[in-house]
Amino acid sequence: MAKVVKTRIEMEGETVERSVVVEGEAPPPWTEDTVLSLIGGARPRVDGPARVSGRAVYTADVRLPGMLYAKILRCPHAHARLRRIDVAPAMALRGVRAVLSHRTAPPIQWQNGVLLFDETLRFAGDEVAAVAADDEDIAQDALELIEVDYEVLPFVVDPEAALRPDAPRIHPRGNRSSPPRVYQRGDVARGFADADIVVETVVRTPTALHNCMEPHGSVAWRDGDTLVIWDSTQHVHGVREQVAETLGLPLSRVRVISEYIGGGFGSKQGVGKYTIIAALLARLTSRPVQLMLDRREENLATGNRHETIQRLRIGARRDGSLTAIDLRAIAAIGAYGGQPMAIAGPVQEFYRCPNVLTEEVGAFTNTGPTCAFRAPGYTEGAYGLETALDELAARLEIDPLELRLRNYADVNPVSGRPFSSKPLRELYRLGAEQIGWHDKRRPECGPTGARRRGVGMATATWGGGGGPPAHALVRINSDATVDVLVGTQDIGTGTKTVLATIAAEELGLSIQAVRVALGDTLAGPYCPVSAGSMTVASVGPAVRQAAREARQALRDVAATFLEVPASQLDIQDGEIVATMSPDRRMTIEDLAGRLNRFQIIGKGSRGANPNDVDIRTFGAQFAEVQVDTETGQVEVCRLVAVHECGRVINPLTTSSQVEGGVVQGIGYALMEERIVDPRTGKVLNPNLDDYKLPTVQDAPVVEVTMDDHVDERANVLGAKGLGEPPIIPTAPAIANAVAHALGRPLVEFPLTRARLLQALQEGQVGNGSSHPRPLSPRERGRGHRR
Amino acid sequence: MKTFEHVEPKATRDALGQLAGDGLTFPIAGGTDLLTVMKKEIVRAQRLVNLKEIAELRYIREDSRGGLRLGALATLDEVERHPLVRERYPALAQAIAVSASPQLRTMGTIGGNLCQHSRCWYYREDFHCWLKGGEVCYARDGQNAQHAIFGGGPCYSTQPSDPGPALVALGARVRILGPSADRERTIPIEELFVVPTEDRRRLTALAPDELIVEVQVSRPAPGQRSRYLKAMDRAIWAFALVSVAANLRLDGGRIAEARLVLGGVAPKPWRAHDAEAALAGRPLDTAAIADATRAAVRGAQPLVHNAYKVPLAEGLVKRILEDLVE
Repeated sequence: MAKVVKTRIEMEGETVERSVVVEGEAPPPWTEDTVLSLIGGARPRVDGPARVSGRAVYTADVRLPGMLYAKILRCPHAHARLRRIDVAPAMALRGVRAVLSHRTAPPIQWQNGVLLFDETLRFAGDEVAAVAADDEDIAQDALELIEVDYEVLPFVVDPEAALRPDAPRIHPRGNRSSPPRVYQRGDVARGFADADIVVETVVRTPTALHNCMEPHGSVAWRDGDTLVIWDSTQHVHGVREQVAETLGLPLSRVRVISEYIGGGFGSKQGVGKYTIIAALLARLTSRPVQLMLDRREENLATGNRHETIQRLRIGARRDGSLTAIDLRAIAAIGAYGGQPMAIAGPVQEFYRCPNVLTEEVGAFTNTGPTCAFRAPGYTEGAYGLETALDELAARLEIDPLELRLRNYADVNPVSGRPFSSKPLRELYRLGAEQIGWHDKRRPECGPTGARRRGVGMATATWGGGGGPPAHALVRINSDATVDVLVGTQDIGTGTKTVLATIAAEELGLSIQAVRVALGDTLAGPYCPVSAGSMTVASVGPAVRQAAREARQALRDVAATFLEVPASQLDIQDGEIVATMSPDRRMTIEDLAGRLNRFQIIGKGSRGANPNDVDIRTFGAQFAEVQVDTETGQVEVCRLVAVHECGRVINPLTTSSQVEGGVVQGIGYALMEERIVDPRTGKVLNPNLDDYKLPTVQDAPVVEVTMDDHVDERANVLGAKGLGEPPIIPTAPAIANAVAHALGRPLVEFPLTRARLLQALQEGQVGNGSSHPRPLSPRERGRGHRR
Repeated sequence: MKTFEHVEPKATRDALGQLAGDGLTFPIAGGTDLLTVMKKEIVRAQRLVNLKEIAELRYIREDSRGGLRLGALATLDEVERHPLVRERYPALAQAIAVSASPQLRTMGTIGGNLCQHSRCWYYREDFHCWLKGGEVCYARDGQNAQHAIFGGGPCYSTQPSDPGPALVALGARVRILGPSADRERTIPIEELFVVPTEDRRRLTALAPDELIVEVQVSRPAPGQRSRYLKAMDRAIWAFALVSVAANLRLDGGRIAEARLVLGGVAPKPWRAHDAEAALAGRPLDTAAIADATRAAVRGAQPLVHNAYKVPLAEGLVKRILEDLVE
């Protein structure tokens, strides 16, 4: 039976109430007492061999008969208007099949009231024209033949400069990308009046680039009346909707396929311009068209983690209890978009503090548009809050971990509701013990000599509860194999493996017997975007319910032949066994022998979230660093990551997520930074030479500890998401360790040698005293422009 | 990348015959640098002269006086692994070990490594900068954290080679052949690297119709020690922010001869002559190291964002000299 329920769903710092369809009956939760044979076991990825052997077909691997290759001409200026564009010379080139530009493309609305191919270009990298040709080289040559006369306009790339009244306008209504987002609880003025100490700081975080291993791209093909799109995406059903809407097609006439994806990290959540351009070119040429972006385009035009400037004031009493936090954050949104990500999330919900005021302002800038990037907003915000708290701890002469414990939030400070589970105290304890926190933070372990050790820690809180709608089908085939059909996708996280395990567990079959078909809107029922750490917690319960329904149907069928009530039948290793009289048994193949053309289909959907609790995931990371004060080198010697995501379904995919998040966090802490030329607005490092990603040598062995417990209120699996939390605390934990080593806080990131050495030149490095010298306003305001 | 002609001479003299010096013909060996500038159309080659088939240029051997001879086509990996190099020329082995990636070291040759194009992002990206024949150096007043603190202007690029500073410190020489016999010369490697000038907008003195065919390093004298240190913004796979090569000859507890060469600070490997002088004739002790450290950065002229290179160079000089104390 289908019913409509209202439920609360949290995604990337935003909670919404939604009406969703829920079908069937939810299985009873797997509790601490449920005996499970597969869940919790360390199992390699079911698609590992396909991925590492090259058999996996990614979007770039798709080859269709007569397929054309497309390329995009991008604006070389930070801000310009098209005076004239002549594509005739490009069209005349042999092998060129179609060219799209502002003059010839249909006037498709994109975002911020701007067209897909607009007359005004708002960042160096904005789309000017596109070519489809017989091969990539011809397409590239054709781009160079397009004659464009640009009227170069004044531009602004710095978010603070963009907000000044005299700044060049990027959109007609000004450079505020949205009304300031204000959150308030209590009265901060009173909170600061009550404070014994107030720490003020300005933290600057860099623009970080996703650099997914697989670039963005699409293949579009008109197959009869259906537009088929292969897309590297985190949401096949979302792309389907957006393509249908953008091109005015019925939803049923669009099919999106994405079986293998080489990472998204938030940058592949929706349809890209490249997807629509490929579809338009396919329509113009009546041929399949492939449009894959290259590394440079990836780093110019497919999104980024926004640069932020965070002005923080924290008030506390002498005993460390927080009385007020005031955060004013500015984020560079880039040329298009709306609200900033949830930068204020950590300030609002990490700790108990009665008086909080946050204001987040987004500034349009003439740079590539921002988008979600693994724990968007929280990763930036945790950098500010967690480093400022360490400064507060130093000023109060309270151990930083103790300071966090004294402000521990037992209920969600934003909603007032309890959590479904919050084992953070235990995570702190485990991490502190593992890194030897209390020994290493003793005052006599302060900085001395040229090479200095320091330890630091930071907290993570994140959603990850998931929710409906998510649907699944499970088919039991007559050869005793099972197909799980879901409209989700595996963006590299191990979704396929996890869903196969859940189905196999519920069905009493081996994982090898289960095949998960995902990443195809035609085959798989609706599932949500693989983002917000919500895939397992959303799709997993639906798969479990579908498997359970199929299992019940299988027992019903077997009951007829075994002459035992279905309720007394169990499925063990692919055999249906009467629990009371184990000699009565039959295999699925036996059933198939007795039945003609037999297949059982179960369906499942994700049920509603509980109303009385908030579902969050928690973590704490502890870093030990060595800082070389003579060469500015920061070496991360140890990184202890203690997280929880409720029930651990597979320790291997779990530790992969933590390791990946931590390594990305190390990059964010120490080296990753998009550099923009202030005089032209062009990105100087849209490549992997000058945009530094961490190598394996930059990462220590990540010491992963999971607090494996069943979050029984979360959903019928007891499991929550883990995709994003591991990146949240890494950078501030490292920054705090560096501050500990140097005896003074640092406020500009990443901590490159240039910044370290500059800070060391300017300031007196502490001598082991736990009183860092307060920063002067001049120092706080400094920093080279990005 | 545009269509180009590809010729494969089997002998050095044939290769030289093919190099027209017309600005459109380029020699290619490992191709690890050339292909990157071709893809970005910084170099628009119409013809590539492939050197990889020239067997006579791929060798590593000891000469009759115990010196080292590196054929220009010896790969970085081969040079780094060679026992003679590891034993007698640690600075060179260490410099190669921290350059590029294993894949690039397997492809890249020692000759090619010395002829790399600038890594300045204004040169590599879409700017018609001075080094590419334009009017201005965008780095001078732009994003110049990676740029020169010595010898800058009109171009503020830094020489990207790691073996370069090591070979300068080791007093290496390079043999260069041109289209005719009278163009043959063997010059100190220090003269190969140049600060670009108005009529020579390049990082080397090599003319477009010339080839480096050999690198020569003398046998180290007794008491000679060398090292290479490099600072990057990550552990590996990056060009030097600053590097230093040191080659000291100690005699009776005193420094008889010192060569200190900084990388990443100038358009060419930069001899720290003042630091060398500060060491000469003294024992390698704390006082000498402190003096040399200070002297190494004397005269540095940092730009807005690269002042950190001054303490970084000091730090590396101090560290390398401390390492050389037995």
